[in-house]
Amino acid sequence: MAPDIDYLALAPEITLAVTAVVVLLLDLFLPRRQKYWTAIVAVLGVSFAALPLIALAVSDVGDRAMLGGSFVVDDFALVLKGLFVIAGYLVLLMSVGYVESDRYYQGEYYFLLLMSILGSMVLASSRDLITLFIAVELVSQPMYLLAGWRKGDLRSNEASLKYFLLGVLASALLLYGMSFVYGLTGELTFAGIAAEGAGKAGEPAFIMAILFIIAGFGFKVSAVPFHFWAPDTYEGAPTPVAAYLSVSSKAAGFVALLVVLYSAFPDASGVWGPAVWILAALSMTLANLTALRQTNIVRLLAYSSVAQAGFMLVPFAAAATTDAVGLGEAFAATVTYIVIYAFMNLGAFAVVIAGARKTGTGDIEGWGGLGSYAPALGALAAVFFFSLAGIPPLAGWIAKLVMFGAAMGAGSPWMIALAVIAAINAVIALVYYARVVKTIWMDPVPATAPEEEVRTASVAGSLGLAIGLSAAVVVVAGFFPSLVTFFSDATKVLAGG
Amino acid sequence: MSDWFSEPANWVFLVLALVIAVSAVRVVTSTNVVHSALFLVLALGATAGLFLLLSAEFVAWVLVLVYIGAVIVLFLFGIMITRAPTGPNVEMDHRPRAPAAMAAFLMFIVTAGSGLTAFGDQEITRLGDGTSTELIGEQLLQRFVIPFEVVSFVLLAALIGGITLARRDASPAEEEATEEEVQA
Repeated sequence: MAPDIDYLALAPEITLAVTAVVVLLLDLFLPRRQKYWTAIVAVLGVSFAALPLIALAVSDVGDRAMLGGSFVVDDFALVLKGLFVIAGYLVLLMSVGYVESDRYYQGEYYFLLLMSILGSMVLASSRDLITLFIAVELVSQPMYLLAGWRKGDLRSNEASLKYFLLGVLASALLLYGMSFVYGLTGELTFAGIAAEGAGKAGEPAFIMAILFIIAGFGFKVSAVPFHFWAPDTYEGAPTPVAAYLSVSSKAAGFVALLVVLYSAFPDASGVWGPAVWILAALSMTLANLTALRQTNIVRLLAYSSVAQAGFMLVPFAAAATTDAVGLGEAFAATVTYIVIYAFMNLGAFAVVIAGARKTGTGDIEGWGGLGSYAPALGALAAVFFFSLAGIPPLAGWIAKLVMFGAAMGAGSPWMIALAVIAAINAVIALVYYARVVKTIWMDPVPATAPEEEVRTASVAGSLGLAIGLSAAVVVVAGFFPSLVTFFSDATKVLAGG
Repeated sequence: MSDWFSEPANWVFLVLALVIAVSAVRVVTSTNVVHSALFLVLALGATAGLFLLLSAEFVAWVLVLVYIGAVIVLFLFGIMITRAPTGPNVEMDHRPRAPAAMAAFLMFIVTAGSGLTAFGDQEITRLGDGTSTELIGEQLLQRFVIPFEVVSFVLLAALIGGITLARRDASPAEEEATEEEVQA
């Protein structure tokens, strides 16, 4: 008996899988000078994967569930898949010039990147523990390898090894927690776990399982105290890979956390709420204070992304203390934050790639006067960094607004305390984001700056396109927030709000 | 308690569990990397025995084939090919033992405690005879066909990435030479 498969629902994943294999085969037959074709095929494949997504979004079939509810394509899955496709597209664009100029194994690089995007697509649809775990592995595992892609560089070796060892530990914790959940409920699908686990929220084994699962995903989203790998890995990995790690990989971790906590453990919110509260408060505070002392731009962005993960966790903690409507609001707030964060952080990383090429350094001091010889890049850097800080009218402001809205909407003293912590941290974050912009625009050009030709050389076309697209989204979404909230409201289906 | 001892399966369990516990400790404490690998074989073999005891033959033999047969052999080959020192190696012994042992012990208390409270008084219901393999095969290709396919991509990605990272890079001059050779 053949399983019942809805091929349209699987079309985006199949497109990506086929593209990845084509890239790999093409790489085998292309002479070295024409390897750039692998990049073109990869970019085209990811663009094509968006077409069935649109077809699924406009079709009026509604939610498509298959294989006993293990794989579901609903509005939540579609919005997140769209985000993963666009983020993957931008990272591919960023990689083109970077990978080519550094004589990497291009075909294999794009193959692994496509594999990771495929993993995140499957993740957005998975509604049982096995599918979810395998999808999470497919997201992270190519990244362990890509982090070490600069083979000759010791820091890249360290980045890969550190990420791999801690990632495997996280996977083990995750799987151990999941095995306990299965043992206690006898169910694999989230709907089944929610039904069976309703009366079990107080059992020690159930609490331990939930905490293990949160810890496992805590590594993936790099929340304090599970963030130790992030700064070293981001700094040592190729910068487009760091951008992917900080956006798609992190978003994948959040999607998994959202789906598991909201749809499998809705009745155990008394267990995961406080745990997430602690994670959020620690992530925001410790990461922001450490970021203040950073002198390397990539390390600064690494700590900033840890702190942003803390902001994204705030609505989770709020959800635990409210009713069904509040649950939906908090859910949508996190999704809004993830979507906006993806664009502004990808933009920031793209600017860093372009800026590092021009200034020849990753030290923030060396970026002095960038605005004077590359005004467009300097202006875009200001856009992304101010957006990350949450200054209106840029998109980051909307993200902060819905986050605070969810926290204050819950109304409990604990949530107001968390909102106050978040507000203080938003101010601290402004200091280090603004410092980068100040260095770019107000500091003199350092004596160590490279030659005039290097500084004024034009940015690679694909990288420019990536920066331009991200900037357009950040600015337009800032003026028309309804564009983003339209999508995030659609995702509430999962939280029942 | 006398019930517990009169059941022969419990005796087998006791022996297997002791073997696993002792060899697991030796995997960590041994200063010889080959010894560690061999103790791991012992621990995994006894675990396969536990699965047999639960009449889950398929899982037991997969454990033997994949872990003992492939992973450990690969590990030993890895040691041999890279010419890593196989004798006792003091560098494998780390100084701060107390905190690590403490953390491991706490972890043990948490997992064992919650496991006991959750499953301590449950009877083990055995699966039917010999159907489990067939059942797993059917489930893998029907209900769990998507994760099954996705796993194949995980393995392919690991293979491709692993080879790329492990292979020796040709110097630019060598690459040019091979290029010309291909063209000629």
